[in-house]
Amino acid sequence: MNSVVLRYTNLMVITLIVLSLFSFALAYLFPGHPIENLTGLSTEQLASGYQHAFNYASGESLLVQYWHYMAALFNGNWGFSFHTGLPLYEEIKHVLPASIELSAYALIISVLVGIPLGFLAALNHHKTTDYVLLSVSVLGYSIPVFWLALLAIMGFSLQLGWFPLSGRISLFYEVPVETGYIVLDILLSDIPNKRSALLDVVQHSILPTLSIAVVTTTLIIRITRRSVIETLDTEFVQAAYARGLSTYQVLVRHGIRNALIPIFPLLAMQFTTLLTNAMIVETIFSWPGLGNWLIQAIYHQDYPAIRAGMLTVSALVVVFTMSIELTIRLMDPRRRRVRRGTI
Amino acid sequence: MILLDVKNLTLELELAGEWVKALDKINLVINQGQIHALVGESGSGKSLIVKAIVGALPNKRWKITADRMNWRGQDLLSMSVQKRREIVKSDISVIFQNPINSLDPLLNLGDQLKQSINIAALPKHLFWQRNQYKNRRVEELLHRVGIKNHERFLKTYPHQIPSNLLQKFMVAMALASDPKLIIADDPTRGMEVTSKAQILRLLSRVNQVKDTSILFVSHDLLAISSMSHCMTVLYSGQTVETGELQQLRKRAYHPYTQALLDSAPSFRKDLPPKSPLTTLAGTIPTLHHLPIGCRLGPRCPRARKECVVTPSPRKIHGHYYSCHYPLHWAGR
Ligand SMILES: Nc1ncnc2c1ncn2[C@@H]1O[C@H](COP(=O)(O)OP(=O)(O)OP(=O)(O)O)[C@@H](O)[C@H]1O
Ligand code: SF4
Ligand SMILES: [Mg+2]
Repeated sequence: MNSVVLRYTNLMVITLIVLSLFSFALAYLFPGHPIENLTGLSTEQLASGYQHAFNYASGESLLVQYWHYMAALFNGNWGFSFHTGLPLYEEIKHVLPASIELSAYALIISVLVGIPLGFLAALNHHKTTDYVLLSVSVLGYSIPVFWLALLAIMGFSLQLGWFPLSGRISLFYEVPVETGYIVLDILLSDIPNKRSALLDVVQHSILPTLSIAVVTTTLIIRITRRSVIETLDTEFVQAAYARGLSTYQVLVRHGIRNALIPIFPLLAMQFTTLLTNAMIVETIFSWPGLGNWLIQAIYHQDYPAIRAGMLTVSALVVVFTMSIELTIRLMDPRRRRVRRGTI
Repeated sequence: MILLDVKNLTLELELAGEWVKALDKINLVINQGQIHALVGESGSGKSLIVKAIVGALPNKRWKITADRMNWRGQDLLSMSVQKRREIVKSDISVIFQNPINSLDPLLNLGDQLKQSINIAALPKHLFWQRNQYKNRRVEELLHRVGIKNHERFLKTYPHQIPSNLLQKFMVAMALASDPKLIIADDPTRGMEVTSKAQILRLLSRVNQVKDTSILFVSHDLLAISSMSHCMTVLYSGQTVETGELQQLRKRAYHPYTQALLDSAPSFRKDLPPKSPLTTLAGTIPTLHHLPIGCRLGPRCPRARKECVVTPSPRKIHGHYYSCHYPLHWAGR
């Protein structure tokens, strides 16, 4: 078991190193002077007094440069934005929690809705419930997210006025930033009207969360349905029926666990879809998250910001996917041990 | 007393858009206290019969019809699924042919065995001793099938255990619920001689001591002849001949039964050393290319024009066969 953990850690570290190499290469691939792309400062600025922040090694070999780059990365010294001139590390630290919050809400809702509906469809395989759920999920999957988000804004914010148009919380509330996660911040703070602030946050999050959750939910429904149908067709489930277990008992004792095991790795793979959709939705709802921020950076050709944002997003995806894979492996007794060369 | 009475069981399955009769009018009667052997080549549909009896076929893609399929007088096919499972749970145990596939890969063996234990033998007011009772039963069952290191064994998962141990485990699981009928689908396949003898002895003893009936599916004619009372021979989804084992051995009416008996050297007293064994030419047809009429037709040495019509079962001295031109039957 330890060796499995070790292998996954190993794989993760190597992947992250490759990503950092790529982000370093971006400095050379983007137009402009590499040192400007890395630091976000112009050569004049560098010459005139910012050296203390950047121990750069422009004359050295690429390897040495990369080494310095990594050292700076770990010191939280990610360079400055061309556009705002602020340190990137601080900026990302500021916008990342909003994104994580939004994606987490969407993921939780999709899992809570998608998995039970998937089970429902599979248990009614070839019946009306199954067909209805399947058609709805195909429909939901085919709707482009940005369009759905725009429709939601048009319907629920502009016409019905149920939900606010954009942002994360209205400007009335001044919540001191503590963790960056706004719900936590509100709970930790000592502002007078906590309850109404929380309500406001919930109202702000509903539309963006749902817009993202629709696609992910439909995906989860279909993955779950497939997996449950396959599990119920296996010999050991039939054998359990032959032992006289009722449908419910078979489902609880054998069905659920065996059906969920193949679902989670597929879910982990959908995490990238979720993140991409979150970025689009953030832009539409002016949600102050990483996606919105990155798209602004792309508009402004802010190369250092693009580089840092890309590194953050990809590192996030890698760490998340790997952790889920590892959890699955540890949950599945068949794969707990490392096996090589099995035929 | 008749436990299981199956008449004209037909199972159709869909292959490439066509409905094929994988089982064609199977008849099978199992009496209480009997060991009934079911033999036939690989692919003749033995496992399908087993699954059809206990309802272990996923209900789509299959069509099961039968004139009757009675368990102690109650029709299994017309009753509700619920009721049928109740009956199977209390009265019938199955040892499936492929142990690794018929066990839940994510549960350890101890949990799976405990699920099958019948706690009816424990008085109701002792419910707090249930777990203790189960543990005792588990240990006893494993020792009976010859698994010694039971504590470690119970903590392992199916994929960690070699298949012959799993086969023994399946036998233990079948015994756990004290059934009236044990259906053993090739329980000793690929086992080495001592384990095989042990399992066969165990099954015989259960049959004698508890009066449990056994439907014994196997290729092993020697084992069958040493323990069974009755035998049903199957060929390509059709019951070919059924009767008491001694009678069948003495006088088989169906050419296929005769060929089967001739192919087993231990059944031939007059066989000189180093003489070739007789076999039927050809192989069993696949489900895609089933011959019409008697399915043995293309391979049968006695086949004639009439054999394109499916022969109906005929009875002589409590012994059924389905053939137009039976052996030892000069009268026709
Ligand atoms: N799930 C299935 N789908 C399609 N065909 C099947 C299925 N299961 C079995 N069959 C076919 O039904 C026929 C009978 O199979 P079955 O497993 O009952 O044979 P068997 O007599 O048990 O053979 P063996 O002695 O090898 O166990 C075979 O031709 C097989 O290909
Ligand atoms: S019915 Fe005809 S083909 Fe079939 S076994 Fe008898 S003689 Fe052979
Ligand atoms: Mg079989």
